[in-house]
Amino acid sequence: MRFATRTFLSSFIPFAVLLAISFWAIRASVMETVRNGLRASVRDNQVGLAREQARSDGRNRKLLEGIGENPSLKAGLQLLAAEGGAAGQARNTVQDQLSEICDSLSFDFMMVSGARGEPLAAVVRYAEGFAPVNLTRLHPPEQGFFSADGRLYEVTSVPIHEADTQVATLTVGGRFDISQFGVPAVLLRNGAVITAAMRDLAPAQIERALAACSLTADCELRMEDQQYLSLPLRRPTGNGDDGYSLRSLQNVDAASAPLQNVLRKLFLVAGFIALAAMLGISALSSRSIAQPLVDVVTHLRLSAATGELPEFPESRGGAQEIRDLTQGFNNAARAVRESRERLTRAYVQFVGSLAQALDARDAYTAGHSRRVSEYSCAIAQAMNLAEDDLEIIRVGALLHDLGKIGISDLVLQKPGRLTPEETELIQQHPVIGKRILENVQGLEAYLGIVELHHENLNGTGYPHGLKGEETPLYARIVKVADAYDAMTSDRPYRRGKSHAEALAVLRSVSGSEMDPQVVETFALLGDQRKQPAAFAGSQSLRSLSEAVQSEIGTAALEVVAREREAS
Amino acid sequence: MYQRGVAVELGTDGETDPLAFERSHVAVYLEGGPKSPAAEFAKASIEQKDRRFAPDLVVIPAGSTVAFPNFDPIFHNVFSLSKVKSFDLGNYPEGQSRLVTFPVPGVVAVYCHLHSNMAASIVVAPSRWAVRVEKDGVFSLKDVPAGTYTVVAWHKTAGTFRKTVTIGERDAAVSFTLPYAEPTEAGHVAHR
Repeated sequence: MRFATRTFLSSFIPFAVLLAISFWAIRASVMETVRNGLRASVRDNQVGLAREQARSDGRNRKLLEGIGENPSLKAGLQLLAAEGGAAGQARNTVQDQLSEICDSLSFDFMMVSGARGEPLAAVVRYAEGFAPVNLTRLHPPEQGFFSADGRLYEVTSVPIHEADTQVATLTVGGRFDISQFGVPAVLLRNGAVITAAMRDLAPAQIERALAACSLTADCELRMEDQQYLSLPLRRPTGNGDDGYSLRSLQNVDAASAPLQNVLRKLFLVAGFIALAAMLGISALSSRSIAQPLVDVVTHLRLSAATGELPEFPESRGGAQEIRDLTQGFNNAARAVRESRERLTRAYVQFVGSLAQALDARDAYTAGHSRRVSEYSCAIAQAMNLAEDDLEIIRVGALLHDLGKIGISDLVLQKPGRLTPEETELIQQHPVIGKRILENVQGLEAYLGIVELHHENLNGTGYPHGLKGEETPLYARIVKVADAYDAMTSDRPYRRGKSHAEALAVLRSVSGSEMDPQVVETFALLGDQRKQPAAFAGSQSLRSLSEAVQSEIGTAALEVVAREREAS
Repeated sequence: MYQRGVAVELGTDGETDPLAFERSHVAVYLEGGPKSPAAEFAKASIEQKDRRFAPDLVVIPAGSTVAFPNFDPIFHNVFSLSKVKSFDLGNYPEGQSRLVTFPVPGVVAVYCHLHSNMAASIVVAPSRWAVRVEKDGVFSLKDVPAGTYTVVAWHKTAGTFRKTVTIGERDAAVSFTLPYAEPTEAGHVAHR
């Protein structure tokens, strides 16, 4: 796993988890608060309704007490008492009275019972009118619910007084329709649902849920994963009420559902925004942590690929560790570079020594290699060759006649004409030079110059007889410089030619042996011998080689010269 | 007793015309005059039927007797608290009747203990000349000896009106104009 990825994940994942958990917790607490608030308001509402119901019950009660004072009814009761409660017209008379009262006051049920609670007369409203009730099978409570002929009635009772003595009880009631009730309610009898306003819940389910509730207290319950609130609306009197109890039953969650939906959406949106922000921040921070390292790694890879060891730029306020790392690398790179330069210097010293040793074999050719190198570089620079090419030409030119090491001084320094055998021997020197150098690591680039600096454009050169462009430009340049120096140098058997004479000779073979472009470039440069060294100190390796030539080389030359004198 | 239900349009139906109804509920009788001949007692009846007194107005000479038969399948308890004659007939069932004699002239209001909406009036006249006015508002008192009398007209809510008339050999005509108030459903209760 990449460092940046790891940094990103290790910062993002804990934050995301933390964020999710805290959002979940906040959401849960807000939901709970909202739900509690709504529950309280639903409860207040229900309490208010229950109170209103009680107040209206009180008003009804006063009305009923007024009915209890009805003189006609009292007369009827007296009649009933006088007649001994016998069935017949006395009872008919009272039933008739009850029917009329019921009709005018819109009651559905009315009953009078005696001082000892024995039922005397009762009527019930039917579609076609009022009808007397068979009292032997009907036992309505004084207050509460009862059912007759499959209908449910809610009744209440008031005493009928005669001279401060209760002579009878009047029980009055109406049909009970739970759907007409002010709040969602459920009527139970001994824990069993008689009728419920909510159609979507099974009675058994309601019974199970309500079983845990006290008959007289508020109760919260869960059904189908919904929170319900239930308040007793008619408290059981425990006085012949047959175990009926009426409770409200309201879904609190349904009431809070719209608000909860809004909150849920709000939290979802906020959560996503926070997560996205977290993602961005994590990505940025991981990048800021990992990027310097990635830069370092890229730099090192580049170094590995090119073999160069460039120093890191001064890091711009990065982390201390990164700065230490790059500084350490820079130090190491500097050390490597220095040792590499030492190595190169050793090479150059070696090469320079070789060249000096070669030149020193003959006093007349002393400095030949150095001059050829200088002329070649001048030509190459005039031809706008690259700095690297110049370097190759410089060193290659220094080494170009190295192969003459393997040729006897007798042949090499012979003043007269050479025999064909001797000529052939001489012509071996490029191949010998190549053979010597190809075994030295790091000098491969100069082999072309050493091997091919005697090839002619027309193919008459040696050792291979290459034509035209087959000979590399480096070799063609060195060939011109070599020929020029050979012509302008003094020899034991002749004086060196003048610059103009040498140029004329070069021009005469330009196109046949010499590269015309190189010759013309050289001609334009003028007499190189009268010009100071043009390339001193312009580049490290070059200055090194020059240093070699000027100091070590000169020292070596002096040593060689001294030996020669001694001998 | 007025009809329940919607108001009846005036004059469209003789039976239920409110004005005709009110006219027929006016009692007229003679007061004073020469020494009256021996009273001629009438026999009247007020039935209890469908929780109503029927008729709800009877006009009788003093000393007459009124029967109160019960034709309803329920008990009734007829009573009066009037100064002229107070009585309480007690509870009695269907098929039974009670008799009450009214010796003193005056107006007797009759009610039922068991049914507060039942009411009737008995006008006990001091003379034998006493009638209910017809629906068309006409009344006639026959065989009245010559002399000066006071003609009295009584209506339950309008009150009592008196006019003096002298009877000679020929008939005499007297007319009354009684104020009429819009009836209310519970009129008799209000004027109890």
